[in-house]
Amino acid sequence: MIKLAHGELIVLLLSISAMLIISRIFAELGKKLKLPVVMGELIVGIILGPTIFGMIYPETFNYMFPRTGNVPIAMDGIFSLSVIMLLFVAGMEVQLSLVLKQGKVAVYTSLFSMVIPFFTGFAVAWFFPEIFSISDEHGPKLLFSLFFGTALSISALPVIARILMDMNIFKTNVGMVIIASAMFNDLIGWLIFSFILSLTNTSSHNDGFGLWYTIAYILGFGLFMLTIGKKIIDKTLPWMQTKLSWPGGVLSISLGICLLSAAFTESIHIHAILGAFIAGIAIGDSVHLREQAREIIHQFVTNFFAPLFFVSIGLKVNFIENFDPMIVAIVLVLAFVGKVLGAFIGARIGGMNKNQALAVGFGMNARGAMEIILGTLALNAGLISKPIFVALVIMALVTSITSGPLIKRFLDRNMESK
Amino acid sequence: MDLSKLKKRPSYPFETIAVAVSFSSRCKFLLAEAKRICDACDSSLLLLHVGEKTSEKESNLDEMMDSVGINPKHCRIIWMEGEPVDTILRLCKLNIVDLLILGALEKENFLKFYIGSIARSISRKAKCSVLLLTSPNGVPQVFRKFVVNGVENPKTIHTINTSLYLAKKLRAKEIIIANELDLSGVAMTMADQSTAPESKEIIKGITEKSELNLQQVLEQCDTGNIKISDKILKGKQGYAISKYAKDKKVDLLIVNSPDTNLNLFDRIFAHDIEYVLADLPCNVLIVHSRV
Repeated sequence: MIKLAHGELIVLLLSISAMLIISRIFAELGKKLKLPVVMGELIVGIILGPTIFGMIYPETFNYMFPRTGNVPIAMDGIFSLSVIMLLFVAGMEVQLSLVLKQGKVAVYTSLFSMVIPFFTGFAVAWFFPEIFSISDEHGPKLLFSLFFGTALSISALPVIARILMDMNIFKTNVGMVIIASAMFNDLIGWLIFSFILSLTNTSSHNDGFGLWYTIAYILGFGLFMLTIGKKIIDKTLPWMQTKLSWPGGVLSISLGICLLSAAFTESIHIHAILGAFIAGIAIGDSVHLREQAREIIHQFVTNFFAPLFFVSIGLKVNFIENFDPMIVAIVLVLAFVGKVLGAFIGARIGGMNKNQALAVGFGMNARGAMEIILGTLALNAGLISKPIFVALVIMALVTSITSGPLIKRFLDRNMESK
Repeated sequence: MDLSKLKKRPSYPFETIAVAVSFSSRCKFLLAEAKRICDACDSSLLLLHVGEKTSEKESNLDEMMDSVGINPKHCRIIWMEGEPVDTILRLCKLNIVDLLILGALEKENFLKFYIGSIARSISRKAKCSVLLLTSPNGVPQVFRKFVVNGVENPKTIHTINTSLYLAKKLRAKEIIIANELDLSGVAMTMADQSTAPESKEIIKGITEKSELNLQQVLEQCDTGNIKISDKILKGKQGYAISKYAKDKKVDLLIVNSPDTNLNLFDRIFAHDIEYVLADLPCNVLIVHSRV
């Protein structure tokens, strides 16, 4: 069995502690400036990574974050676990019942806010692949187009929820429509993305049944977990919460179910993230899950795994070298136009007035951490290049920062017009 | 079908009360309760049976009516064949029924619940108020303590007023107006950059706003001599109030009618009234306010 050497263990522990402590300091500084926490974590990654620290002190950088030996393997394991946990908590906040409860306005908003940016992104990538240096000779154009469409169509529920909570409109009609639509977007977006990722895995489509096998497994697994699996979890949670140690018992079992589900989807050549995400929905939607347990899981994942994951992004990518202003501009324009227009049309068809619909549009536009996770997975899978990844990260940050003020602007206009 | 009389018709008084007659073992007790409520509300009684009209059934019904003191001259009986749910709903509309009384099991078996039992299907679709009686057993039901939903919804004021009307007629002693606060999204938003006092402050703010809204609604109601209290319940709407009603052993839970047409998906991804219908905590009145 391969073991970490004495020195390697010290390096691993030092690098993790540096990531956690420095990212917390930046998160607190960012909080004073009302910036998203993820932005502080990314900046720490950029500072600690090849962009700044690696450039100024290459030897110290190579000591702290070695690229050979056992430390990178251990780190990779931690980062994989981090992304699984992040998707698990993202799933825990998806309540499909809320979409049904909000009725047609949420359904139209979520459908249009997915379909329009998806086809906008797909069409641009398909018809103008040279912009992104993609061609069938050098890369799979279809997969990239599918990914690009998906990347533009997802939303970031936690960022959106935070913005709405800060603006005190979380429980209003507009707030609930945005939340419900973002939940539905998340579900469909991650299903599609898992499908794309599984297509990149050559072993899954070596035979002619690859595509149908993947679709059938994704749908079958999703349906099973969201119906029978959810029911079983719902029935056993009260027992767990009273008979097992509290809250330790519920935490162990919940996280265990998440990993089990992730292992299952990985084993059938669908990415582990889908298993974690769907397990999160099945557990989080239960009325029996106590708020304390939910809070502990959130705190643990958001304050341990999330900083490690987001800081690690800056460690892997040189943001200055890979900054391409044209790709950034195109991605930003497409992201804003597709999402805001799509959500606006959906909300209008659903019965909202112009200003409310625009507020919903800009609310749905926040991409936040979800976009960055999606981009990182795509980068790791070889679906996108580093300049496109950098553009997606910048788009995620810009849309998250601008979302709040723009919602406020149109809600204020709505109040004035009444 | 002329539905103009139904539009904007207030949810109370209960001028016409209908009972679905099924000839089950509990049917006689259901009729007894219906008669008592009719007398208290000074309503006209309508008995509905979906099925073939036979002499055996007629004599059986006469016998039951006689035993519970229903005078055939003071009630109307309608016999009609057809699909039970749609037929009863149609008859209720045609006869401008204000309250439909049904017997219902506290819990249906798994398959029946998802397919949809008659009582629950009617409860989801009815365009009039529906009273589900869970345990009519010959002993007159006591309606002393009501729990009424106080959720932020235009229908709520009508539901509370209907509850007050019924409470006065049935001489109830206590009404608890419960508002449910679903705080499940708060954990997500507070996890990364809120201090403990900030999180507490946000939850306190949401709770106080909810209490204030409830107070404003109550100020518009004529409570009379009935003791009214309010309660904030933390949990999912429908589930929290249902659990509270069960724990407090109240006599009647009163909720708004559904806002949308409910289907199988609403049972799988349950919300609001579906939690109540999945496991009736006590007798349940679903107020259809026609707003």
